[in-house]
Amino acid sequence: MDRFWSNSRLVFGSAVLLRVALLGFGILQDNYSPVKYTDIDYFVFTDAARYVATGRSPYMRDTYRYTPLLAWMLYPTAWGGIWFLFGKLLFAFGDIIAGGFVYRILRDGADMPPARALKFTSIWILNPMVAQISTRGSSEGLLGMIIMALLWSVLQKRIVLAGCLLGFAVHLKIYPFIYAASIIWWLNESASAQTSGKHTRSPSTGLLVSLLKFCNRSRILLALSSAITFFSLNVVMYALYGRPFLEHTYFYHLTRTDHRHNFSPYNILLYLQASPETQSNVHLERLAFLPQLSLALVVIPLALARRDLPSTMLAQTFAFVTFNKVCTSQYFLWYMMFLPFYLSSSSLLRNPQVGIVALVVWVLGQAVWIQQAYQLEFLGQSTFVPGLWLSSIAFFLVDIWLLGIIIADVGQQSTRVEYDKSRAKKMS
Amino acid sequence: MKQRITYLLEENDAEVGPEQIQVQDNSLSIHDLYGAKEHRVTLGLDELPQELRLVLNQCHELRIRWASQFLYAGLSPFTSRVSPGLHVFYTPRRKGHDAQICQLLGRVFGNELACESVERSFINVPILSERFSSTASFQYYSLWPSLKKFVTYVEHAVHESQQAKIRSLLDVNQLDVDCDIISHACILNAYWAEPTGNKHWKELIETKKTSGTLEVGILTNEKPLEPEELSLSGVLAVVGEDDRPKATKFSFPSRHHPVPASDLPTYFYTHIKSPAGLHPTLQLTFPSGTKSLIPPNPSCALHAHLTLPSTLLIDKYQLQDPLFLSSQRLRRLHSVAGETDLEAPNWAISRWGSAVLLELAHPSAPPSTPQDGATAGAEAGAGAETAAAAAAADWTVSIPLHLRYLEPRANASGMSAVDVPWPVVFWACAAEEGTKMGMNPFDRTNLGYDGLFGTRTMFYHVPPAVQAAALVERVPVPVLDLGRARYVELGTVVAVVVGFAWVVWKLLAVGGKEGERAQGVKGE
Repeated sequence: MDRFWSNSRLVFGSAVLLRVALLGFGILQDNYSPVKYTDIDYFVFTDAARYVATGRSPYMRDTYRYTPLLAWMLYPTAWGGIWFLFGKLLFAFGDIIAGGFVYRILRDGADMPPARALKFTSIWILNPMVAQISTRGSSEGLLGMIIMALLWSVLQKRIVLAGCLLGFAVHLKIYPFIYAASIIWWLNESASAQTSGKHTRSPSTGLLVSLLKFCNRSRILLALSSAITFFSLNVVMYALYGRPFLEHTYFYHLTRTDHRHNFSPYNILLYLQASPETQSNVHLERLAFLPQLSLALVVIPLALARRDLPSTMLAQTFAFVTFNKVCTSQYFLWYMMFLPFYLSSSSLLRNPQVGIVALVVWVLGQAVWIQQAYQLEFLGQSTFVPGLWLSSIAFFLVDIWLLGIIIADVGQQSTRVEYDKSRAKKMS
Repeated sequence: MKQRITYLLEENDAEVGPEQIQVQDNSLSIHDLYGAKEHRVTLGLDELPQELRLVLNQCHELRIRWASQFLYAGLSPFTSRVSPGLHVFYTPRRKGHDAQICQLLGRVFGNELACESVERSFINVPILSERFSSTASFQYYSLWPSLKKFVTYVEHAVHESQQAKIRSLLDVNQLDVDCDIISHACILNAYWAEPTGNKHWKELIETKKTSGTLEVGILTNEKPLEPEELSLSGVLAVVGEDDRPKATKFSFPSRHHPVPASDLPTYFYTHIKSPAGLHPTLQLTFPSGTKSLIPPNPSCALHAHLTLPSTLLIDKYQLQDPLFLSSQRLRRLHSVAGETDLEAPNWAISRWGSAVLLELAHPSAPPSTPQDGATAGAEAGAGAETAAAAAAADWTVSIPLHLRYLEPRANASGMSAVDVPWPVVFWACAAEEGTKMGMNPFDRTNLGYDGLFGTRTMFYHVPPAVQAAALVERVPVPVLDLGRARYVELGTVVAVVVGFAWVVWKLLAVGGKEGERAQGVKGE
């Protein structure tokens, strides 16, 4: 077993094998069973790719709500036959590359011994849930690759590359914009002593000086490169596909209030508020972005980013998903990819009892919700209240408790020094 | 005005004695006749009340099909069916012109009809080919169970002496209204499957010279010579002209036919698989179908035409996979029109719903497509062994539907319900080249599905099961119970605020430590 964990080729090889096996299993199931292994979204992607391949708009496919770039990336699937698998291979390849970045960051950044780094990387690459989601054709693996590449390039101080990846990630899935806050806050490259309090003549110039100090080279480079990438992608897509592109890629996600049952604590409230019969004057759900963004975009980055960037990104994502108005299990992957960085120094591992309880309540919270949802969706029982609502609130509170632990753990750390140390070591 | 009344007798009731039909100068009386009756009235647009005329002048065509939700027999040539309820097909005179059809429908059929405007309430009818199409371009539907309001409206419009006759429309099983600007006329067609009230038809049919021709026929089906044809024989009389009924026999090609008679009767019933959940399955069962479901000729394909209210929908993407289709005993989704948004809740839908045409698998043709020949072969092999045991097993086809979210309801224990009409089931077969269906004096088009086939298609209609109580299925739908949801608003807010406060407190604790540490550093 020790030999397995000390050999990165073995670990990554098994990750590849796991995905190949699942892909093969998927082909069999798709061809011989009316119940498909392939995710419905993958049919949406490949239908859109077919439209794109014949010079039409991907938005001719109902429920295609992504950048046309995704349809273009899956262009080969339009050739049919075995090429149908191309996108799944791309997504699976993406999540393995994401694992590669996780490993590199743990090795170089956190200076972790190979075997330990591989074990933590395996939380992602040998995770059957991750492998399954990619091979069923969900694009999360591809997103994972971009996010991990972003983190890696930030830690390597490859700022322009990081900016491009950030712009691309936001173009692809919107939510990664929250990482801009933590990365910007983290990039305080020269907090050197030369400009200490002496220069302050009046509060306003003091503010100006600190603002100028804040706008250091890295931050400006990151802001420019990410903005240029994001906007030029949008300009090109808008020029090609016009208003439907904006409509489906952005506005839909910003304005949507999904009334169908999902894990979000707001779900039943949204169903209640959305229906015309219960028109109330107070639209509390419109304020839902306040707790969500104030945590994910402001308070968490400010409090934690300079201590440990990867774990801060975990906390941000966790807060974003927990307070989101829509939440499906696919969203859990967004934070799971950061777990290897956080768990390596978390109290959940130091104190396994807490760790096990955390895992159990997190899984149990979902299980209870799923049981209620099953009764509603397949047995036709009206479990909206209290069952479904209570279980989504309970799951929300479990998530809050976990988020509290994560924040406290990151607060305990001075990982900043660790990453700096390794970089200093390399530079010298 | 022109009228035609046809009594259609079953073959064993076909002997008509002279006392059963008596012709006088300006009247004709009927006694002791048992059979179906069709009354067809042709009115010029200028014979109609002004409020109708004004609207109809703006219509290129307006066709109304109403069918009762109670079971009735469709005796040939009246075998064609539509799903129970009110179907309206409409083509405007000018593109994009509304002509206030909804207001007209409201006035004639009842203001409770959920019809706002053509744009917001009608769906576009899919047609095979615009160029050759003879079908209307917009469709409206409502599961409108009663013609009470309609009958009241017509009563007000006619002369007092006619009102009693009009009231018989309350028992009608089918009602068609066809108005179009080219003929500048409206044709009303009422069909009773059996005598109303008492067991036999006993009627006195009168006419005045001024009120146009009135023709009465008493007919029976004969065995036709050609498969495309129907053949009728019996007596005809024009009231006021003929002094005695004249014997007649005539044949004509027909679009609609009954399924050919066989040892086992062919019929179907519809039910919703239980539990329905949010994805109800509509099942069509053909009793002894494995034996009785035989195509009238090899060119025929079995179809179901569904009229789905907006609360239900089909997912056209789900119905693309051949394996899934064959597992449901479906062959393909032929067409779907109307509200097909897969995600919208019911309150976001303004139009009435959608119309779906599906091709069904039938026993003599294995459901699987040729490319998965391996599985089909295996199935056939297994089928041969058990063929004797399953001699006349039922044949059940499943149609997967999906419910939209419905409005929350108060004091309903969290349950709501939607009604879905039974579909129309038929074999669609190719007719001989050059068959002229329009020659049929009883021809019926614009039924919602005929426009999806070529003009030379014959429909062999599979009738609904006789034991059916009503041709409507009720699907229970779980909804949010407002009575128990009062605490949801407050509860959610409290949970979110508490959660938010907890996280902020944790973050402040971290910040506090940082402050302590910073002070510690200074101290050093």
